[in-house]
Amino acid sequence: MTIYINGTGCISHQNTIDADAFFENREIDCLPLLVAQEPDYKGYVPANMLRRMSHIIKMGVAAAKISLQQAELENVDAIITGTGLGCFEDTTKFLKTLIENNEQLLTPTSFIQSTHNTVAGQIALLIKCHNYNFTYTQQGMSFESALVDAMMFLNENKNSNILVGGLDEAIQPYYDLLAKAGHIKKQEDVITEIEKNKTHGFCLGEGASFFVLSNQKNKTTKAQIKGLKTFTFIKGADDLQNKLTTFLRGIDLSINDLNLVLSGNSGDAEDDTILNESNRQLFSKIDIVYFKPLCGEYFTASAFALWLASAIIEKQKVPKVLIQGHSNKKDLKTILIVNQYRNTEYSFMCVSSC
Amino acid sequence: MVFVTGIGIISAIGKNVSETLSSLLEGRTGIGKINHLQTIHKDNYVASEVNYSLQELENLAGLKNSNYNRTTLLSLLATQEALTSAGIKSISAHRTGFISASSVGGMCHSELLYKDFLEHKSHENFIDTHYTGAHATDVAKHFGITDYITTISTACSSAANAIMLGARLINNNILDRVVVGGSDALCKFTFNGFNTLMILDKEWCKPFDDNRKGLNLGEGAAYLVLESERVVKAENKKTLAILSGYGNANDAYHQTASSPDGQGAYAAIQKALEIANLSPNKIDYVNAHGTGTANNDSSEAAAMQNIFKENMPLFSSTKAFTGHALAAAASIEAVITILSIQHKIIFPNLNCVSPMQDTILFPVTSLQKNVEINHALSNSFGFGGNCSSLIFSKN
Repeated sequence: MTIYINGTGCISHQNTIDADAFFENREIDCLPLLVAQEPDYKGYVPANMLRRMSHIIKMGVAAAKISLQQAELENVDAIITGTGLGCFEDTTKFLKTLIENNEQLLTPTSFIQSTHNTVAGQIALLIKCHNYNFTYTQQGMSFESALVDAMMFLNENKNSNILVGGLDEAIQPYYDLLAKAGHIKKQEDVITEIEKNKTHGFCLGEGASFFVLSNQKNKTTKAQIKGLKTFTFIKGADDLQNKLTTFLRGIDLSINDLNLVLSGNSGDAEDDTILNESNRQLFSKIDIVYFKPLCGEYFTASAFALWLASAIIEKQKVPKVLIQGHSNKKDLKTILIVNQYRNTEYSFMCVSSC
Repeated sequence: MVFVTGIGIISAIGKNVSETLSSLLEGRTGIGKINHLQTIHKDNYVASEVNYSLQELENLAGLKNSNYNRTTLLSLLATQEALTSAGIKSISAHRTGFISASSVGGMCHSELLYKDFLEHKSHENFIDTHYTGAHATDVAKHFGITDYITTISTACSSAANAIMLGARLINNNILDRVVVGGSDALCKFTFNGFNTLMILDKEWCKPFDDNRKGLNLGEGAAYLVLESERVVKAENKKTLAILSGYGNANDAYHQTASSPDGQGAYAAIQKALEIANLSPNKIDYVNAHGTGTANNDSSEAAAMQNIFKENMPLFSSTKAFTGHALAAAASIEAVITILSIQHKIIFPNLNCVSPMQDTILFPVTSLQKNVEINHALSNSFGFGGNCSSLIFSKN
């Protein structure tokens, strides 16, 4: 089954709003926290709604609007989102006040907006979409869960356009909690070549990436998703390799058909071990680029990777910042994304030109 | 076709299916004095708590030093019962998934430690178990389920969506069987949140009563085992019910309030009927969302009236037994609905005396026996406009 990407919208640490700026003149930011570059939201959300919206809601609603504009659509047949952390800014705001005021004198706004489905609900409200509406939260598989649902939905409903997004926010209390838990990389350990890391921890990122997916190809189509497979708990590099080759066979591809691999190394030496070993074994002849130095590590970073893969295919160009010396490939037809989150959740996504 | 082959439940009215059934038959509510939740409001409100401490839940699960929070332990206990009830011995025999639902996941634990974190006193790592999906990973791992694991968080409709997703994963030939449901532990965060919205009744809730004042919060977990027709036939399995229909829609009216005419609810019920290929008059019983808030019950009644017209089937909300267990509510009510079908009993809508002025509908208020239920509808609605309906049918 073929799924077409007919519109994309991405807010990330990079300038991914301006369609022409494809990270030209960019260098990797060696920072443990990669916050998003935000657009002027007034262009996407009515001012009266904007005032009440938290960081993640703004990012999500704007990215959704951009993808709808690109696909030249006002409404869709389904809205499906995935977020690992949910609306943490509103959650911590309510929790902090609750603790400081000893459960008294609380106001409902931040509580109301703390539920994980807030963004999907706000998009529905904004575009008046009464259709199918789902929100997933499964750590590093949150976006993939949304995508699995999207693929089933398009299989069940012919001639449909659906909006699918992955989004997470990296606000300060979350960064502090992760740092305290020992998950954030020390500033002095941050290096540009993420795959060569020998240290612990990752650089936290954030963003919202939305896609208009359809079973119909049209003039706005950028690329197609050929396949998706997710795994929780991988036994080792051999297991990952077997699963990858089985996945490719299942979509009638072999490793030699791949023009590029986007690898989801987090920079944590231990968590990346299996992925690095598998990459070494399988992709010795294929160009591998690492996307997390651009967007940071977060639960739904794979949604950024899908946006990047789609843009690379559309522009037929790999951003210079990613290629680090080796030749810029021509004829970019098929891209494989291999992602891991904390060595627990793994996913494969295959994107190709159409 | 997707069959229900196992059920498991833990809530304020019992730690398993048989205790739950006894409470329902005897009209025994789980709503009462708050004992476990350490909130300053505990003496002024009632809630529907699972009557075990964290330690006692761990003992019930046969675990030691698991570090699991209340949401995870509730989930694990109900999943254990569902798997046993379905007679599943080998998880790896078929492609098996675990689809859970929760609204706040590990918040019941995080909120106790957040103060020390803010004051730079705490060194305990609670963020890794805070995530709403974390319980699903732990419970799936505990039972060796690896083929597909995810969590849905669509507020109070979450578990209905988990059940629906499970059926679709089977119908799309991605899984052969799947454990579906939800778990939510009561916490100060949620309690205070609903309190600020001023929709908590300080006494027993009165769904569909004209003088209803709000909901009572509850907690618990419930899971169903869904299996494909192929597996059921191959293994000649006993089945409890058929999951024949499911529908999801968005009200797109307000972030928290339901539209007066229940547009989203209407669309969800309509879609469920279409999937089940049933006309409204085939529905024999509705287990309503019926939270006891002024807004929900009016909106839901309007939607039901528009769907069923003059053929309104018998209906009741069982939330006056279990309280509103948020993301777990729909799976708790799915289990109750299946018990209704199995035992031909409609459990009463407690505390409802005065008919609502804005509707002609009135729920079943006393236990009804020997009611042949071929098809039953279960509704669940939530914040964010999320509306879901499920249809369970007799085998």
